[in-house]
Order: sequence, then C-alpha cells, then structure tokens
Amino acid sequence: MKSISLYIDNGSWLCRMHPFTKLAYIAAAISVPLLAGRLWLFAVFIALSLAVLASGHLLKRVVPLVAFSFTILITIFLIHGLFNQQNRDILFSIGPLHFYREGLLYALHIGCNVLNMLLSFAILVLSTKPSELVEELEKRGFSRRMGYIIISVFQIVPQMMGTMNTITDAQRSRGMETEGSLATRAKAFLPLISPVVMSSLINTRERAVALEVRGFAAKQKKTYLADRTPRRGDKPITIVLLALIVLAVIWRIVQCL
Amino acid sequence: MNLFKTKFDAATIVLIPACIGINYLGKMFASLLKLPLWLDSIGTCIGGCLGGPVIGAICGAANNLIYGFTAGDNITLIYALTSLCIGVAVGIMSRLGFMKSFPKAILTAVVAGLVAVVISTPLNVVFWGGTTGNVWGDMVFAATQAAGMPVLLGSLLDEIVVDVPDKIITLIIVFFVLKGLPQKLTALYDANAKVERLD
Amino acid sequence: MPVIAVENLKYRYPHAEALALDGLNFTVEKGEFIGIVGENGAGKSTLSQALIGLVPQFYKGAYGGKVLIDGRPADTTPIAELCCKVGLVFQNPFNQLSGAKDNVYEEVAFGMQNLGVPREEMHRRVENALKMLDIWQFRDRNPFDLSGGQMQRVAIASILVMEPDIMVLDEPTSQLDPQGSEEVFRTVDKLARSGITILMIEQKIEKIAAYCDRILLLHQGHQIAYDTPQKIFSRPDLEELGVRAPAFTRICRALGATLPDGSYPVTVEEAADRLQRTDALPPPAAPVPSRPVLFEIQDLTFSYNPGTQVLHGINLCLDARPTAIIGQNGAGKTTLVKLLKGLLRAEGGSIRFRGEDIAGKTVAALAAQVGYVFQNPDDQIFRYNVLDEVMFGPLNIGMDEAQAKEKSRAALAMTGLADKETSNPYDLELYERKMVAIASVLAMDPDVLILDEPTIAQDVRGRQCIAGIVRTLSEQGKLVLAILHDMDFVAECFDRVIVMAQGQVAADGTPRQVFADAEALQAARLDPPHVTQLCTRLGYEGVFLTVEEFLTACGCKE
Repeated sequence: MKSISLYIDNGSWLCRMHPFTKLAYIAAAISVPLLAGRLWLFAVFIALSLAVLASGHLLKRVVPLVAFSFTILITIFLIHGLFNQQNRDILFSIGPLHFYREGLLYALHIGCNVLNMLLSFAILVLSTKPSELVEELEKRGFSRRMGYIIISVFQIVPQMMGTMNTITDAQRSRGMETEGSLATRAKAFLPLISPVVMSSLINTRERAVALEVRGFAAKQKKTYLADRTPRRGDKPITIVLLALIVLAVIWRIVQCL
Repeated sequence: MNLFKTKFDAATIVLIPACIGINYLGKMFASLLKLPLWLDSIGTCIGGCLGGPVIGAICGAANNLIYGFTAGDNITLIYALTSLCIGVAVGIMSRLGFMKSFPKAILTAVVAGLVAVVISTPLNVVFWGGTTGNVWGDMVFAATQAAGMPVLLGSLLDEIVVDVPDKIITLIIVFFVLKGLPQKLTALYDANAKVERLD
Repeated sequence: MPVIAVENLKYRYPHAEALALDGLNFTVEKGEFIGIVGENGAGKSTLSQALIGLVPQFYKGAYGGKVLIDGRPADTTPIAELCCKVGLVFQNPFNQLSGAKDNVYEEVAFGMQNLGVPREEMHRRVENALKMLDIWQFRDRNPFDLSGGQMQRVAIASILVMEPDIMVLDEPTSQLDPQGSEEVFRTVDKLARSGITILMIEQKIEKIAAYCDRILLLHQGHQIAYDTPQKIFSRPDLEELGVRAPAFTRICRALGATLPDGSYPVTVEEAADRLQRTDALPPPAAPVPSRPVLFEIQDLTFSYNPGTQVLHGINLCLDARPTAIIGQNGAGKTTLVKLLKGLLRAEGGSIRFRGEDIAGKTVAALAAQVGYVFQNPDDQIFRYNVLDEVMFGPLNIGMDEAQAKEKSRAALAMTGLADKETSNPYDLELYERKMVAIASVLAMDPDVLILDEPTIAQDVRGRQCIAGIVRTLSEQGKLVLAILHDMDFVAECFDRVIVMAQGQVAADGTPRQVFADAEALQAARLDPPHVTQLCTRLGYEGVFLTVEEFLTACGCKE
C-alpha cells in the first residue's frame, strides 16, 4: 500500500532523533527570523535546514517539495515585481514589462519565509513516522481521540486510493469508457467518485463498532508498545533552540522600546 | 435546540478521518481534471452536516494541520482557520435546516463561500501579499493591482472569484451524498437520540 | 449462575417499524459452545451486538427486557468495560481493523493499549495470539495488505488478546476458503475447550452441527428453539424457516436412520454409524452435448510484481458448460478471471475469445460479451435507486432506454429484487446489494457471466436464487464461470470444475472426476462435498456428490 506520508526510515541520525526536538527546530526556524525581522536570518536558517537535510541524506527528497511551491513563488514575484503599490524604482525591464525594486524585495521576503518554513517542516516530515509523533504527543497528554484521527487519516487515504482502482475496474466492466475525450472523462467522474465517497462513509458504521469492542472509550490510562527515551543529544539541542526563540523575543521588545 | 451539541463517541471520531479522506480525494480529482476549483472541503462539509458544527470544525482544522505537518504541504497549514470556519458555518446551517432542500443548500453554499472569503483574504495578504495560488483568481488579482486598486480589495475579489463557485459545487455534491446515505447510518450521529424502553 | 442470561429481550432500530428482536429468552453456561442460526434478517447479528451492549448503547433505538453478562446488565454497563468480558468478531474483516496501525503486531495490541495493559504483558499476549492463529509471519505487514482470511485471523487475534470470557463470532469464516474456515473452527474449538464461552453465527451448517453444544434458532426476530443440534436439525419445519439441515441429517431422515432418542444424526460420524453400506452406484454420467468453445487460453502467465509469478502457464479451453473454479485463497483464481475480462493484461501466452485475441480490446469493448460481478457490491453502486443502478451497464453498451429497462427488470426478477426497483441501494442489506450487483451485470445480457464468490453472505434462499441463475443462463447457452469456496454448491450446480493451486491448473473435469481425485484436492487443500465425505467413510466405491443423487441411488426421496 502506498503511503501518503513522506517518511522513509533511512537509518540516519535524523530518523532516530526525538520528534519533539524537530518540532522545537521548526518553532525556532520560523519564529526567530520573523521576530528579528532580518532578511539575513532567513538565509541562515535556510542554510542550516539544508545542511541538516544533507547530513540526514534527505536533500534529494526535498526537491519535489520545493518544486511544488515554486509556481506560487513565481506568481508572487511576477505580480509584486510588476504591480506592487509601493513600486518606485525600476530594477530591470523585459520588453514592455518593468520590474520594480520595492515589489521584488517584498516578494523576496515572502519567498524566503515560504522556503524557510518549507525546509524546516521538511526535516520533520521526511524523517518522522507520523504514528511515532502522535504516540509521543499522546504520552504528553494529547487527546487520544485526536491521536486516532490523525493516524487513521494515514491509513484511510491510501485505502481509498486502492478502492478507486477497484471501482475503476468495476465500472469499466459495466461498459463505461474511462479514456478518451474530455466529455467522456467528465461523464466518468460521478460513477468513479460516488462509490468511494459513499462506501467510505457507510464503512464508518462498522469501523466505529470495531473501535467500541476494542475498548476505545475506556477511561484507563493508555499504554504503549514502544519505549522511546530521548537520546543524549535531544535535550541540549532543544534547550539551545528554545533559548534562541527567547533571545529573539527579547531583541524584538528591546527594538520596540 | 442547542446548535453546538456534539456527540463524541466512536461513530463521530471515525467519521472525521473518512471526511478528511474525502477532502483529499476531491482535491486530487480537481487537480487531475485541471478544474479551476479546489473541491477540497467536500468532506469537511459532510462532517459538519452529519456531526454538527464542532465536528465540522475539527474536520476542517485537522485536515489542513495533518497535511501541513506530515505530507509536506505546509502552505495549507495557515488556511486551517478557513477550513475550521467553513466546517462551523456549514454545521450551523445544516442544524438550522438549510440542507433539507436544494435551494436551501445553495444558500448554505453562498454562506460557506463568504465565510471562506472573509477568513482567507487577510491570510492571503499577510502571507502571500494577496495571491491565492489559483490561476484564475490570481489573474483577477493581477488585473486589480495593475489598475491600482488596494491590495485588500484585489485579494478579496481574487478570493470571491475562486471560493464562491467552489463552495457552490461542493455543497451540491454534499447535498446529493447526504440524500443517498441510509438512515441507519445518519441515525448514529443524532446528538439527541435516547434509548426508548419497550417494557 | 449462567454467564449469559437473556430475558424477554426486545429491540427496535431507530426509524424502523418492526422489532429486530422480539422476546428472546435463553441462558448460556460457562464454557458452552452455542450456535446461532436463521435466515438473513432473522436478527442474528443484532443479537450478537446486544450481548456486548452495542445494542442499545451505540445504536440507540427502543429496548426492552434484560441481557445479563455475569450478572451485569449489558444495556447500561459501558461497552468499554463490557468488552473485557465479551469479545465480538464480525463478518467483514476489513472494517474490523482499527485503521490506526500500520502493522499486524501493533494492530493486535490496539485493544490492550486502550485498556492500559502493561507493556511486557502486551508483548507476551500478542506473540501468543499471533502464533496460535498462525499469523506470526505477517507481524510486520500492513494489515490492509493481507488477504481476507489472514485479515480475519488478525481480527480474531485482536479480540483474543483482550482475554474475554465470552467470544461472540458473527459469521467469521464467510470470507475464508475451506481450509481457512476449518482452521478458524479448530481455533474456536480450542478456545471453547480452554473454558471460553463461544457464541457463533454461521451459515456453514455442517460445521455448526459438528462443533456446537446447543443451537439457538431465530426467525424474523423470534426465538424458535434453543436445543441440541440433533433436536434442532430434526425439526420438520426447518426449510420454511430458511435454514437447511446438514447433508447428513437430510440423508438419515430420508432413510429413516435415527438416533436412540428419535432425532436424526447431524455429523458425518453419527451418520456413518447409523447407515448401512450399500452397493448402489451413482447414475452414469449423462452424455454432455458438445458446446461451442468460448475461451481458448494458451500458456498464460502473469505476475503483479516482477519476480513473483502468479500464474504459470495456464492452458484451458472454456465452453458454455457452467464451470466452477475452486482453490485456496491466493491460488490465482481471481487473477485468471480478471485476465479473461481484460482487466489485467497477460504477460505471456494468449487468450482468445471466440477465436479473437483479446489483447487488443478495451475492457469496455468486451463488456457487452463478458460480464464480471465483483465481490464487493459497494465498489460499483452510485445511483440512488436500484433500477437506475442496474440500467447503467445496459445503457453504456448501447441499448436504448426501453430495452435497457426491459432487460434490467428481467434481471431484477431473476435475482429476487423485483419489488426493490425504487429502493435506494444503500438502504438494502449487504446480501441484497450483492444481488443488485449480479443483476446489473445480468441486465447487460453477456454471453459469459463471471461471478467472484457469489454465495458469500447469502443464506439458503439466496443460494437457491444463484443456482437458478446458473441453470437459466446455461440453458440459454451462456457460460457461467464462478469462483467458489462452497463445495456442496459446486457439486449441485456445475458441470465442470477447475481446481487451481499455486497458479496452475491442478485438476479439470466433471465434479465427479475432480472430487474423486484425492491427490489434486490435497494439493489444493480442498475438502470434497459433505456427501462425498460420508461415502468415503462408508467405504462406497462410487462417488456421490449431492444428497439428491445419493437418495435416488438408494431408491428414496428427500
């Protein structure tokens, strides 16, 4: 079954790191540059994220993620470079199109922010098993119902995709064409999507029964199969990251005074 | 009648992942068929109609948070607030009886669309300088900026062009899905159901 | 004190008019093995859910009377507490998975986690249960990637580790092949011996008869009888109640072979003790008129993943005789029929349909000639009334509205759904939705009808209905090709049997030839029909396949 999670256990140190440490990194990477408001800090964190990803052998797998948000970044550069209200100085022109300094700088800010967020999240997403993250959260008091919802999504989506294949076969068997002109494909839309939507809703009845009979509503404190104690490096790294955030907040307050 | 009364048993908990899965499917179809729509809130609206505003809110917010945190699509993260409000709005409308007939469902769709616009526009402006990432909407935005209109207004128009039609199509789909669901399923979500005694 | 005491239990689902359960009264002692039988809609599943409190706590509705589990009322004790006492395993293994675990090991531990069982204890119990049910080798697999039979064993293990005193099993073997269901029955019997009380709903009546201490017979929500299998299956009104007695009982009844107390034997051992060996031989095979060849399959090979071949060089010629394909789960049966339908493309070799190679044809183009009914009807239903759903196929293959309607009505009449034309398919029960799926293919009037395990979830009436379809199509000169796990049904309705094992044809011939071929059956891990088993035990020379055949040879009628 194909997973929608991007996690693959490649045995690197990143995969073994405690998920909370990675969460702390995301918090620091996003908040510090925003609080300090310096463009070069974005660059620092982007570089740091890239270095971390590289040492965890994940650099190659981050490419599609960046490519995914590339179209929206280009739109932002185009629209603001050309039309931003603050535009004064023309930086360069391509034919009749004039790109302005102010707009491009603004777009650069947004772009750096997006890229920074993307890369810091990528560290967590690519190296952490979702169920591990949820389990650790549950152990710290996170609602187990919410925990179930999150993990269940990772099971249900690939399952629905699998059902889609069966449904396609079933409807083709009844003489429905799925290939051809746009009109043919559009006509196929309802017979394909409707069974998967309806059956996934109808199946919830039995799934709920299955949870009930396995003590889902029990009040006892839940226990876990795996025992994950934080590694040696986890604690100091988390402390440093949190300290950075605090420093940035102080810096911001001092600036405002 | 308490609009926000919610059942938190296995039935509603299991409903939420199914709805999030349906959101994902809708989104996938829209992008496969290259439709100028999102179609990524079909499940959220179903959740809101069946389980009430609170379940709708959880469907919406959890949807964006889960994909944001784990599938690497962190752009959707900031729109968790929008999804949450859509879920609440549709949930309330449904509890008020605005999903009972087709014309009423369209009204629900307009409400959901406007809620999406009101919440998303400031987010667009703060995070993207006004664009939405949808080709058609962003063409509108570019035109308004070229015409010298304020960013907020341009972004608002951008959102309206995208979100209102999207929610209308979405709620039409939801309306027909709900119509087809058997009563023995929908009865499970009835927050006011009581066991009647036969002796 | 009995572990289960049911007193005047009544229940009605919300928005329903009729009572699903009406005045049930019975008690179960610790360690007993109880069978629950009755036709579809008799209230068996509802009763099973009442024993663990799902009825009425989960479904709501209207409830009367009492269910006491170890003295505690099931309608008010929280399910989360009751589930430590009563475990429930139900029919569809797929929906019993928690949906929150990506490997079998953790899936099985899910219930214990909720109940707060300590870690070491969890590991111990999971290991024991997985080994006991022979699924230890799948512990790291994703449960959703397993076959139906394997999934069902995971579901049983998941309940077993919670160590309930009572296990309620709602048709747990309906999705399994014969060997798989025998394994489940043996496991359940082992549990019963270890002191666990078992209540089991099952359509495999010979199995129920062999394993149960007592049987509860339900009909339309009423309790008809609660007695020993011998007493229950000796009732003359059984067929009217939608239940068929075991083959052995029917034979003994016709021959007047009774047990000392006047009831009839229910197991093969009991029957063999009471019956005399006769020298009667089965009737000589009637000459089968030669029929035109439809499919020619040559050196067919196929694999889903490179390296693991599923089919190894199949050579077959299929004509219009009703043909059954039997074999274990994973033997390649479904793969073969999907290739015939063009849903999969052959890797090597060729398939010719009426002399033409199908490699160049799309599935939709073949649809008018070759119909294929999928196992799960929910994978195709998308219309909100039965007639529209059934008309979808005929309209796709170019019939006009009037013709499509006529064909669809005829198909609905054949499947016993004539009065359900305007129903919403989603309001129907699973066994009815399965018939809708069959009707929707029948309506396309194909020359070949492929059925993938059509008897699952069907009771006696449903099976008779399918038998009728096989007969009618065969008379019209059409090929019915069915994958089946029910050997008695194969023996009754089919003229040709193909046995598959490990991606190859292990045997091919008339039912009599195939079921006499002990070696091939063993290779495919299949048991012959029940009557054949009885004949073997009695030391008969000829192979009898069905009760009718046996009785005719003995000169009497059922």
